[in-house]
Amino acid sequence: MKYIPTIGIECHVQLATKTKLFSEVDNDARGKEPNSCVSPVDYALPGMLPRLNGEAVRLAILAGRAMNCKINLESRFDRKHYFYPDSPKGYQITQFYHPIIGAGYVELPSGKRVAIEHAHLEGDAGKLTHFDTYSLVDLNRVDTPLIEIVSMPDIHSAKDAHDYCKELWRLMVYAGVSYGDLYNGNMRFDVNVSIAPEGATELGTRTEVKNLNSFRSVERAAEYEIARQTKLLESGEKIIQETRGWSDATGKTTGQRSKEEAKDYRYMPEPDIPPIRLSSEFVEDESTKLPLMPADYRKKFGGKLAGDTLEVLLDYPELMRKLGEVADEGAVLLSNLFASVLLAEEKSAEYLNDLPSAEDLNELCKMNLDKELSSTATKDVFLHLFDPQMRGRGTRTIAKELGIIQENDMGALEVIVDIVLAKPETAKAQADFKAGEEKVIGFLVGQVMKESHGKANPSAVQEILRKKLS
Amino acid sequence: MEVNCDTIKHLAKLSNFSLSDAEIKSLGGDLNSIIGYISQLDELDVENIEPTYQVFEMENVWRADEILPQDATREQLLALTKEEKDNQIKVPKVL
Repeated sequence: MKYIPTIGIECHVQLATKTKLFSEVDNDARGKEPNSCVSPVDYALPGMLPRLNGEAVRLAILAGRAMNCKINLESRFDRKHYFYPDSPKGYQITQFYHPIIGAGYVELPSGKRVAIEHAHLEGDAGKLTHFDTYSLVDLNRVDTPLIEIVSMPDIHSAKDAHDYCKELWRLMVYAGVSYGDLYNGNMRFDVNVSIAPEGATELGTRTEVKNLNSFRSVERAAEYEIARQTKLLESGEKIIQETRGWSDATGKTTGQRSKEEAKDYRYMPEPDIPPIRLSSEFVEDESTKLPLMPADYRKKFGGKLAGDTLEVLLDYPELMRKLGEVADEGAVLLSNLFASVLLAEEKSAEYLNDLPSAEDLNELCKMNLDKELSSTATKDVFLHLFDPQMRGRGTRTIAKELGIIQENDMGALEVIVDIVLAKPETAKAQADFKAGEEKVIGFLVGQVMKESHGKANPSAVQEILRKKLS
Repeated sequence: MEVNCDTIKHLAKLSNFSLSDAEIKSLGGDLNSIIGYISQLDELDVENIEPTYQVFEMENVWRADEILPQDATREQLLALTKEEKDNQIKVPKVL
């Protein structure tokens, strides 16, 4: 029997705010001492009053718009109660009943659409480290602002699950909603997988693989679950609804001890945070801050760039922003330079943080189009634009210093050609060419290039040679 | 709605409280009278009435996204915990 997989994904995105969701404490705890980014609010001391970070609301609007979602003009916070040492309050502040982001969709590069059910603002929990007989609690991450994006079960392959997560990453990073630093857990994915016989009207029993932090592990975990569930059903066994953990090392999911009791979060309205009420004008104003998004770049460059080059470049928002700034006629040349030269370099990460100015890049394209720079010379100058010693000097100065500007002045080139043709060692080649041996033209062009110290434009040289030898 | 012994045990477990049988019994009596009192509201017809989520009628209380120095130091906050280790709060092993 053929089984059709169905996948839904929940994604937690860490927002790029300076401070936490409910307190005026540094939100960036990377490399900081445990419990050093903590306020009495995060500590849940009696009498503490959480206050909502307005920037988180603005970023949520951008996130919603990036996913073509409706922004709910009225939204509220709720308390989700649970007892665990990662939450001193004893509850998480989240938006269970009235989320800020309503339904929408994400379009994958393949053109498929994944519907978004809703997305909401919430605070993160603290970090636990487990030892033999005890656990240690670091509250730096408590109430780091997150949006949780809940997709509909619209995905039917592990590859599409991968592409959906990657597209979400792009949307959040392009929109400036998140730094998207996967290594530091800025985006975490929970993947729900079920399978059902082809044609079935009801979905199968699902399992949830929690806390995946890369697109690759999303894809591998989904693949593994589809295969595991298929095998179970084929051998007549049942699938247990459970949470499973994924190990990158073993490439397997394993069942996690399920809590004996059914979840009972006792949601109630959060009385400390007054509701968010937005005007349509405010939402529109904020939405205009959305910069060019992947879909805009696909529209802009889609016809001109090879599709796979564009998709590679789209993984580098800094490059795309730069391409958006340069003149249209140079965009294709620069895209190819970025893709073939820059991304192949080991130092690409370093380069990406410090790209040349649009002005320098425009000049480079112009010199290439005007044939002042050969394609080799263009690459050479391009790389030198990243050289800390040279970069401030401007494209033309660099090209001059490198001595690789092509001679296009036909008069000057003719003089050089004449010198070469007057040399006795070229006499035989000239005679052979006139006798119809086409390929010796290469030797003659080479001689002229040598005489010009490599600065002559070879196609112009060939043109002059052909005229003189005809 | 009647609060029975099992409800209280369930709630106590969710909140990690340990309660003696005597406490469960006395809490049961208290909770039942509170709920009984509140239940008078059930007599009202609240069909089509928007629930009250917030009694102060405030909205959009937002603050600027600026890091401010905190009055309480890490040491002061950690001093409030039962046990600490390496600047972290030490708790019985949980998994």
